[in-house]
Amino acid sequence: MTGFRVVGRDAPLPLGWKSFAILLTALAFAFFVCSMLLLVQGKSPWTALVLLLQGGFGGRYPLEDTLLKAIPLFLCSAGVSIAFRMKVWNIGAEGQFALGGVGATAAVLLLPPDAPAWIMLPSMMLGAALSGGLWGFLPGLLKLRFGLNEIISTLMLNYIGIELMRYLVYGPWKAPSSMGFPMTAMFPASAIFPSLFGRTHAGLLLCVVTALALAAFLSRTRLGFELRAAGENPRNARYARIPYGFLLLFVLTLSGALAGLAGCVEVSSTFNRLQPNLCTGYGYTAIVVAWLSRLRISSIAFFSFFLAGLKVGVENLQIELQVPAAFGGILEGFILLCVLAGQFFHHYRLVRAGAQQEGETA
Amino acid sequence: MEQNRAACAGKERMEGIRPVVRLEGICKSFGKVRANSNITLDIRPTRIKALLGENGAGKSTLMSILAGKSRPDSGRIYVDGLPARFRSPKDALEAGIGMVYQHFMLVEAMTVAQNILLGQESGIINPRGMGLRVRELAGRYGLETDPDALVADLSMGERQRVEILKLLYRDCRVLILDEPTAVLTPPEISRLFDALRRMAEDGKAVVFISHKMKEVLELADEVEILRRGEIVDSFLREEVPSERELAARMIGRNLEPRIELVPVKKGEELLRLEDARCEKVESVSLSLRRGEILAVAGVAGNGQKELVEMLTGLREPAGGVLSILGRDWKGFFHAPVRRKDGLVYIPEDRKGLATCPALNLIDNFVLTNRRSFTNGPFMDWKRGEAATRDAIREYSVQPPDPSAPAGSLSGGNLQKLVIAREFYRRPRLIVAENPTQGLDISAMEEVWRRILAAREHAGILLVTSDLSEAVTLADTFAVMYGGRFIDVFPRDDAAKVNAIGLMLAGIKPEEHDGGEAAGT
Repeated sequence: MTGFRVVGRDAPLPLGWKSFAILLTALAFAFFVCSMLLLVQGKSPWTALVLLLQGGFGGRYPLEDTLLKAIPLFLCSAGVSIAFRMKVWNIGAEGQFALGGVGATAAVLLLPPDAPAWIMLPSMMLGAALSGGLWGFLPGLLKLRFGLNEIISTLMLNYIGIELMRYLVYGPWKAPSSMGFPMTAMFPASAIFPSLFGRTHAGLLLCVVTALALAAFLSRTRLGFELRAAGENPRNARYARIPYGFLLLFVLTLSGALAGLAGCVEVSSTFNRLQPNLCTGYGYTAIVVAWLSRLRISSIAFFSFFLAGLKVGVENLQIELQVPAAFGGILEGFILLCVLAGQFFHHYRLVRAGAQQEGETA
Repeated sequence: MEQNRAACAGKERMEGIRPVVRLEGICKSFGKVRANSNITLDIRPTRIKALLGENGAGKSTLMSILAGKSRPDSGRIYVDGLPARFRSPKDALEAGIGMVYQHFMLVEAMTVAQNILLGQESGIINPRGMGLRVRELAGRYGLETDPDALVADLSMGERQRVEILKLLYRDCRVLILDEPTAVLTPPEISRLFDALRRMAEDGKAVVFISHKMKEVLELADEVEILRRGEIVDSFLREEVPSERELAARMIGRNLEPRIELVPVKKGEELLRLEDARCEKVESVSLSLRRGEILAVAGVAGNGQKELVEMLTGLREPAGGVLSILGRDWKGFFHAPVRRKDGLVYIPEDRKGLATCPALNLIDNFVLTNRRSFTNGPFMDWKRGEAATRDAIREYSVQPPDPSAPAGSLSGGNLQKLVIAREFYRRPRLIVAENPTQGLDISAMEEVWRRILAAREHAGILLVTSDLSEAVTLADTFAVMYGGRFIDVFPRDDAAKVNAIGLMLAGIKPEEHDGGEAAGT
C-alpha cells in the first residue's frame, strides 16, 4: 500500500510557480545525469555547473550574448508556434531562416551601397520575409494540391534552402575580396541594425513588435480567431466553414516570414554578411521552444532566452573545461529531454497511495 | 416519501439473495457539481436492475465508478461482502465487473476474435480454444457473431454483442450496459433483451442505464431512479406505478402536456434533391418547403450521416441534382462565405463537430456567426459577449457563465447553446441531426419547441434515429435504409406511419397500387 499513484489532473497545470518548480527539478535531474558523465572523465561537476551558469547568465557580457542568440530564436519560434497552433507541423524554420538570410542579402546586393538605412533595412526585412515566406508557402501549396505531408516537405525544403544559400555564397555572391572564403562582401553600415544598448541591436525591437502584433492578431482579428478555432478542433473548422486552405497557406507563409526575419537579423547584425555557417540550428531549437512554452508568446520569449543562455553556457563549458564538443550537445539534449519529460507533470500528478485511501474511506 | 419507504421495506423483505456487489455511500463531485451524493446500492445475481434518470442525473458516473473507470471521492464498494478498491477497469474486471459503454471500445481493423482476445492477461493465447469458447458463449445467450468478421463490417447491434461477449469471456458476473438500446433497431433490441434475460437466469447480475421508460418496464426486475446525483426512488417490478408516474419521478415534476403539432402554412421550396448520390447514398430524392419538417428516420449507418454531410457541404455529391436555397451544390458551397447564407446544420456530434470544447462560450457562440461580429478585419468581442449573454438567458443555458469552456457544459446545455447560435442567423434551411440524442426530457421538449417555432422562417430536415421524435415533429416522413428512401409519405397516412418499424428494417409493406416508390 506504499508508493505513489499517477492521477490525471482535471486541467493542465497553469504556468506558474508550480510549473517553474517542475522545470527546476527537471534541470537538476538533467545536470545530475551529466555530472556522472563528467565524473567519469575526471572533471568536477560543480565547476561545470558554475561555468555553465556563468557562461550563460553570469554578468553583463554573457547576458548580452544570450540575448543576441535569443532574438533569432524568438522570431523562429514565434513563427513555428503560429503554424503549430493550427496543428500544421512546420519543422522547416531552419530552411526558412536560411532563405531569409538570402533574401536580406539579395536586397543589400541589389540596392546601391550608399542607400540610406531607412531604405536599406526595410528592404532587407521585406526581402527576408518574402523569401522565408515563400519557403513556408511552398509546403502549404504542396499539401493543399497534392496532400503532401508538411512534416516531410518542410524538412526536405530545409536541405534545399541551406544548399541554395551555400551555392550562392560559394558561387555567384562570393566577394572577390574574400580571398577565396565562401562569403559575400561585408555589408555597408546602413545594412546593419542599429544598436540599442551595449551590443544589443534593433532586432530586439523587432521581437517586441512581433510579439505584440501576434498577440493582437490572435485575440482581436477574425482571421486570428478562425486560426484559434481551427487549431482547437479541425473538424469543427470545416463545419464552421472556416477557410482551412487559405488559413493553411497563411500560417505557413507567416511562419516562414518570421523565420526569414530571424535570418535577416543574423546576417545583418551577427555576421554583417552572408556566410555558410549562418545556420546553426535555431530553426530546430525553435520547435523545442514553441513546444515548451505551449505556444504562448510570453512563454516563448522566456524559453528563447533560457535556451539561448544554455547554448552560450554550454559553449563556455566546452572551452573552459576542455570537454569534447559532443559533451555540450549531450548536455543540451539531456536538458531538453528532461524538461520535456517534466511536462508530464503538467497533466498528471503523483499521489501517495496511502493518503488517497484515507480520502476515499473518509 | 412514505410510499418510498414502504417500497424499500418491501424490497428488504423480498431480497433473500446476497448481493454480489454493494455500493455504500458513494460520493463524487466534479468541481462544484455533485454527480453522486451518498448513493447506496445493492446489485444481486439473477436480477436485472435499471438505473433510470435524466441526463446528468449521475447514472453513468456511478457505473463508471463501479467499473473502475473513475474513483469515488468517498464511499465503499463491497464485492461478495468484502471491501474492494478499483484503481482501474482491470481491477473491476478481475472482480467480475464489466461495462459496455455507450461508445463501443472495439478496434475496427481487427476481427471479432482478436477484439475479444485483446487485453487478455496470460502470455500464451490459444486461438482455437478461444474460438470454441466464444462460440459456446454466443450460442448459450443468443449472441451469435462470426468470430472472423472484421469489426468495421459489423452493424451497431453486432458490435454490441462483441462487447458483451468480451465481458462474458472474462467471466464477468456483473454486466453494466450504458444506454444499450440507443443504437439498435427494434428487432435488435428484443434480441438484446432476450440475451440479458438469459444471463440473469444464468446467475449473472445485469445493470442497465436508461432514460426510456418503456425499456425499463419491459426488462427490469428492479428500478432505481436517480435525480441530481441521488437515488430518489427504488421499485421492484411489481411495485412500479404507471409509466407516467415513473417519468414524473424521474424528472421531479409532472410531465407537461406533450408537444402539440400545429401545422404551419407551407411556403416556397428550399431544398430539392433528385437522385442525389454520394458514398453510401445510393439515390435520394426529396423536396422541402418552408414551414415543413421532413424527418429522415432510419437506423444509424444507413447513409443518413453521408446524406447530411452532403447537404451541409462536408461531402461532395457523386451525382444527381441538388438544389439548395435555389442554388446548385457547387454554387452554394464554393461561393465565398457570407454573413448569412441561410443554411444551418445542427450536428449530432456536439463536442467533436459543432463546438470547440476548449474555447469558451463566447468564442463558441461567435464561431459560426463570426461575420456578424466583425468590424473590418477585427472582431467585436463586446458585441459577441452581449449576444452570448442574451442567448444564455433566452435558452437558459447552465451554467450562465460566458467565459466557461464549452467542454464543461452538459450535453443538453451544449445543445441549447448550439441551437441558440445557429438560430441567431434566422436560417431558412435547417439540417438537424439527432438533435435530442442524449438529452433529458425537459431539454428534449425545449429543443422540440424551438424547432417547431423555427418553421416560421425555415424548412427543417430532421435526421433522426429516434422514432418517437420523428412522429412528434414531422409533417413528412422519409424512411432511409441502405442508402435509399424506402418511402416518403405525409403524417396523415396512418397506415404507412404504423409501418415505419418494418420499413426501418428495409421491408416495404405490400401495396395494392403496385408500389412504384419501392426504393429499388
